[in-house]
Amino acid sequence: MNSAMNRRQETAFTVHATAHRDRWRHLARRAPWLIALLAVLSLFTGVGAATAAAPTPAPDVAGKTFTIGTDTTFAPFEFREGGDLKGIDMDLIRAIAKNQGFSVDIKSLGFDAALQALQSNQVDGVIAGMSITDERKKIFDFSHPYFDSGVQMAVLKSNTDIKSYADLKGKTVAVKRGSEGEAFANSIKDKYHFTVKPLDQSATMYDDVKAGNSVAVFDDYPVLAYGISKNNGLKAVTAKERGSSYGFAVNKGQNQDLLAAFNAGLAHLKADGQYQRILDRYLKAPGESAPNSSFFSLLVDSFPALMKGLGLTMLATVLSLFFALILGVVFGFFKVGTSRVLRGIASVYVAVFRGTPLLVQAFFFYFGLPQMTGVPIDVLTAGILTLSLNEGAYMTEIVRGGIQSIDPGQLEASRSLGLGYVTSMRRVVVPQAIKVMTPTFINQFVITLKDTSLLAVIGFAELTYQGQQIYASNFRTGETLLIVAALYFIVIMLLTQLSNLLDRKFNK
Amino acid sequence: MSKIRVEGLTKSFGSNEVLKGIDVDIAEREVVCVIGPSGSGKSTFLRCLNKLEEISGGSVTVDGFDLTDPKVDLNAVRQHIGMVFQHFNLFPHMTALQNIMLAPVELKKQTKAEARQSAMELLARVGLQEKADARPASLSGGQKQRVAIARALAMNPDIMLFDEATSALDPEMVGEVLTVIRDLAREGMTMVVVTHEMGFAREVADRVIFMADGVICEEGTPERIFGNPQQPRLQDFLAKVL
Repeated sequence: MNSAMNRRQETAFTVHATAHRDRWRHLARRAPWLIALLAVLSLFTGVGAATAAAPTPAPDVAGKTFTIGTDTTFAPFEFREGGDLKGIDMDLIRAIAKNQGFSVDIKSLGFDAALQALQSNQVDGVIAGMSITDERKKIFDFSHPYFDSGVQMAVLKSNTDIKSYADLKGKTVAVKRGSEGEAFANSIKDKYHFTVKPLDQSATMYDDVKAGNSVAVFDDYPVLAYGISKNNGLKAVTAKERGSSYGFAVNKGQNQDLLAAFNAGLAHLKADGQYQRILDRYLKAPGESAPNSSFFSLLVDSFPALMKGLGLTMLATVLSLFFALILGVVFGFFKVGTSRVLRGIASVYVAVFRGTPLLVQAFFFYFGLPQMTGVPIDVLTAGILTLSLNEGAYMTEIVRGGIQSIDPGQLEASRSLGLGYVTSMRRVVVPQAIKVMTPTFINQFVITLKDTSLLAVIGFAELTYQGQQIYASNFRTGETLLIVAALYFIVIMLLTQLSNLLDRKFNK
Repeated sequence: MSKIRVEGLTKSFGSNEVLKGIDVDIAEREVVCVIGPSGSGKSTFLRCLNKLEEISGGSVTVDGFDLTDPKVDLNAVRQHIGMVFQHFNLFPHMTALQNIMLAPVELKKQTKAEARQSAMELLARVGLQEKADARPASLSGGQKQRVAIARALAMNPDIMLFDEATSALDPEMVGEVLTVIRDLAREGMTMVVVTHEMGFAREVADRVIFMADGVICEEGTPERIFGNPQQPRLQDFLAKVL
């Protein structure tokens, strides 16, 4: 039991300590507690350790389908354009699969999510622009490197003053938190006397330079090259510093045929020129970069993906509310009932789900539960499970409060007529309580709709997620977020008006 | 045989003993008025008679059914006991007619049509047939209490309990409610009436019970209680309220 926990914690540390691949996710901040939580839980069950030893498949990969986890958006390695997953990683894995005769089912999970999924055997391999490091090698087996990265400096296109590190004296430089770029900038900041400002995303860093808060960015060469090719308003001014290499990973000791097939396919693609063509597709600087399209065309281009996201947002909201309502009614009645046991159960339920953050619950149900039970869970199910249980706790309190707000004399009058408890509740108390609860319920409905946006972190492709995908590849953060916010606003306004109308009509 | 028999009834809320041993027999068709100062336990005593309050000790027997016996079907017993509350407790989401029809229809005592018919008759009896479709919110206090009495009569009970039925009313509305209660008394209903209306108690009661500090301090005919009180507590009380 203890050794299982130690191994998990070491794993947590490993992922944490090697987060120096250029990342816009807060891997370093988020992964440790998650895995520590799972470690504690697997300590109780022992299931986590058992699932790590699955049998190795037959050596032939031809005709098989492998599930490959990847990041949600890490342009130019993986990103969505018009709903399709594109990027160097995507083109590469598909070309290799074609060359080696196997199929891939690509799951766009997010970087840390993909690594978690690989560790819990929910995916067979991960390709996500991941640096090969000694620490990661302890838990994963890597392919031969397929890309050499490195840090490069870029400034505003119109800036002619800054041409080298020496020109940075007294200035501020934007870097990505926990990235290679940050480490590099910190290593030379004393020599060149500049200030380092860590931010979370490439798009934010570029926006910071355009807003004049920083004069330069230190970013991964491929990310920067792609941004410049997409007209992000910057230009590279230094040569690439030597950096890490990216590799395809499988879980330690597993899927060795897949790994071998990847290496064989990669060698073949390099030999026949396909590899270089894939890189050029994303990294070659355009001769004349086209100006940004209009806001209207951004709206038109992003609309299909955003509508798809909005659809999933609504689906998650409706399903979660439905289940939350059932939970709320059941536990709400437990709470106002006379049974001490049922009251206790309901109180514990509310305390747990109201007393822990929704994000923690989402991670737990998506990553933790599969590791403990060995049963994989899809992102929609995990998302709805999380939201239902979370909102159900609030719904329980709404139901309890609604029922307790009704004058006890109402129940007494009904009971004095000889009506039973259930009939009295059904005919006398509940109809009045519903009237009291309706405004709070509408409020909870709006909160639930907005809370679905948190499911973006487990890769649930709802509206916020789709927005992130779009601005991560077109670098138009502000405009894209405005569109996303406007969509939420419009939908919530319409639904609130409709709810209030129904409230007035039926709760006179 | 007595209609209601109370023996050694005690009732505590936590460590606070509100009833300290009540013994009383109420005969069929008898009208008993309960008077006494606030906090003497009058209402609690009344609420024990249909077990709206859990009974801490002793027994309450109604029509031969011991309410403290867990095997007794309380809902069936309560159908024979109408209760009228100080604050009416009408169901605000129902019309006057629906308030009255609820129990007979839910308990399948009458069809909807029959229940409507008898509810209209009950409303006529309390002089409110024109308010059949009114919601309680649109009725005056006196009208509300008359609807509440009609509702309590809907299951055709043979016992009626009145818990300070006129205490929450404006003075000009007390009369209309007392008239309805007085009519019921004349028709021979067994009634226990907790009241502050001494004139009314003197007029309709067969027996008056004076409660103080959770016990029956003195009881007797209205003439004796009001004309020739024995206990100093009762003399004190009457001096204050009359």
